[in-house]
Amino acid sequence: MTVEVPRRAFAAEWTKLWSLRSTWWTLAGAFALMAAMAFTLATSTVHNNTNDVPGDDLGVVVASDTAVGSVDLVQFVVLTFAILAITAEYATGSIGTTLRWAPRRGVVLLAKSAVLAAVTFPAGMLLGLLGTAVAAPVLGDWGRFSVGGTLADSAAIGVYLALTSVLVLGIGTLLRSTAGAVTTVFLFLMALPMLIGGSNTALGQWISDALPSSAGRHFMNGGGDSYGPAVGLALLAVWTAAFLLGARTALRRRDA
Amino acid sequence: MITLRGLTKRYGDTTAVDDLTLEIGAGRVTGFLGPNGAGKSTTMRMIVGLDRPTAGEALVGGRPYATLRWPLREVGALLDAKALHPGRSARAHLLAMARGNGIPARRVDEVLETVGLTAVADRRAGTFSLGMGQRLGIAGALLGDPRVLLFDEPVNGLDPDGVLWVRRLMRSLAAEGRTVFVSSHLMSEMELTADRLVVIGRGRLLADAPTAEIIARSSRNVVCARSPEATTLARALTERLGAEAHRADDTLTVSGVAIERVGLLAHELNVPLLELRTQAASLEEAYMELTGASVEYGVSDRAGV
Repeated sequence: MTVEVPRRAFAAEWTKLWSLRSTWWTLAGAFALMAAMAFTLATSTVHNNTNDVPGDDLGVVVASDTAVGSVDLVQFVVLTFAILAITAEYATGSIGTTLRWAPRRGVVLLAKSAVLAAVTFPAGMLLGLLGTAVAAPVLGDWGRFSVGGTLADSAAIGVYLALTSVLVLGIGTLLRSTAGAVTTVFLFLMALPMLIGGSNTALGQWISDALPSSAGRHFMNGGGDSYGPAVGLALLAVWTAAFLLGARTALRRRDA
Repeated sequence: MITLRGLTKRYGDTTAVDDLTLEIGAGRVTGFLGPNGAGKSTTMRMIVGLDRPTAGEALVGGRPYATLRWPLREVGALLDAKALHPGRSARAHLLAMARGNGIPARRVDEVLETVGLTAVADRRAGTFSLGMGQRLGIAGALLGDPRVLLFDEPVNGLDPDGVLWVRRLMRSLAAEGRTVFVSSHLMSEMELTADRLVVIGRGRLLADAPTAEIIARSSRNVVCARSPEATTLARALTERLGAEAHRADDTLTVSGVAIERVGLLAHELNVPLLELRTQAASLEEAYMELTGASVEYGVSDRAGV
């Protein structure tokens, strides 16, 4: 197989994605939510630092960290968008049409992954820049700002969203239903780590650290208590690859 | 050309398609008939690689569909007109198809023109009527200028003009030497459109023959004879020729015997004949006879009465 087949599959998926109004609305929604979240977090930081309670003082924070913190919530808009890239095909029945255009099913999945990454990586970077731009003036003297740091944090957000988008594309492919996939992703990325991590046992902590959302947080925050950013990135990449491979197997075995 | 070899699809204990072996040749329209649930759509889905056969294989131009490099340039199919995203415009839908298979973008406008959707090309497909959706599906099938075309119930939801248009399109595609395989429930339409028929029931092949031959084979091809001495003639037909004759007033409907023998027998008996003619079965009658025993979701004649 030459590179021509996947290249054209990418072109088809790219055209499909941008010819839907929901794509534009979802991305606009993600940016609006980022602006609101970054503003709220920055306001809260300033408030904590200036109220009479000394225990909650955060001191001077890095402005782009506010953007990173906002990703916890904003990611669900982006991930729903990524899930819909495949589950909408099952909901509308258009998966049959898609697989007739491109009968090599692994190629279809690869093309969808590449298109998602090509959209969510720059979108993530812009989200990071937007969050920082909103937070910095609100933080004022309580914020530290550097061009290099902001760019690095924003790139990290882009990489994180690109990888998790592909990961949830895998989950969506496995489950086929939008509601099922959105619920699963929410539980898996948000609820499960909190539940297990909250158990306060060494094993619980270990499992919680190994989950993709913790890996992502370690990566974006430049490391954490358990491991550094490189390990976080590697862990997240392994999770993504595992789900993508599972999805590929399911897609190739099933009747469309 | 489409080749099916022992094509079989089972879902658990249910056999949807049962050991189909046949060839669908180029240069003619082949009709695909069978009751609901007979396995027509499943067969078509296996031909284009959407469903995996339990046994056997389906080949297009001698190759499995999944190995075709640019499938839309070789096989065009209308399987389910609603199988597209309702939020995408007709043009964007076709453009994505074209880009995926290396088909030039101007071809999109050509097929939109062919199916008469140019004026609504930028409207979202979700706002289309059933008939417009059907036309868009046909546009998608024609997009890659393929040698093989599959249509599952193409005239669904089309107005009489549309039905006529589809009939002419099928005929002209076949006349260009393409393979046209089309399923339908409309027998009168198939009688006019198809050169050859494949009839299945409960997944099994019931007939694979030219349309004229399938009609000619039917026992519903009868001889009508009108005579003032119809009773005498009827008795002689039954006793001497073993034919089946039904009388209504002075008219006999005779099956199982050629028209010449009815005429000669009347002459021999010195029975006057006022009218003697053959009455050909319709495809519908021939079809009902073929599939009578294999209706999957049938209702008994007296159901509910």
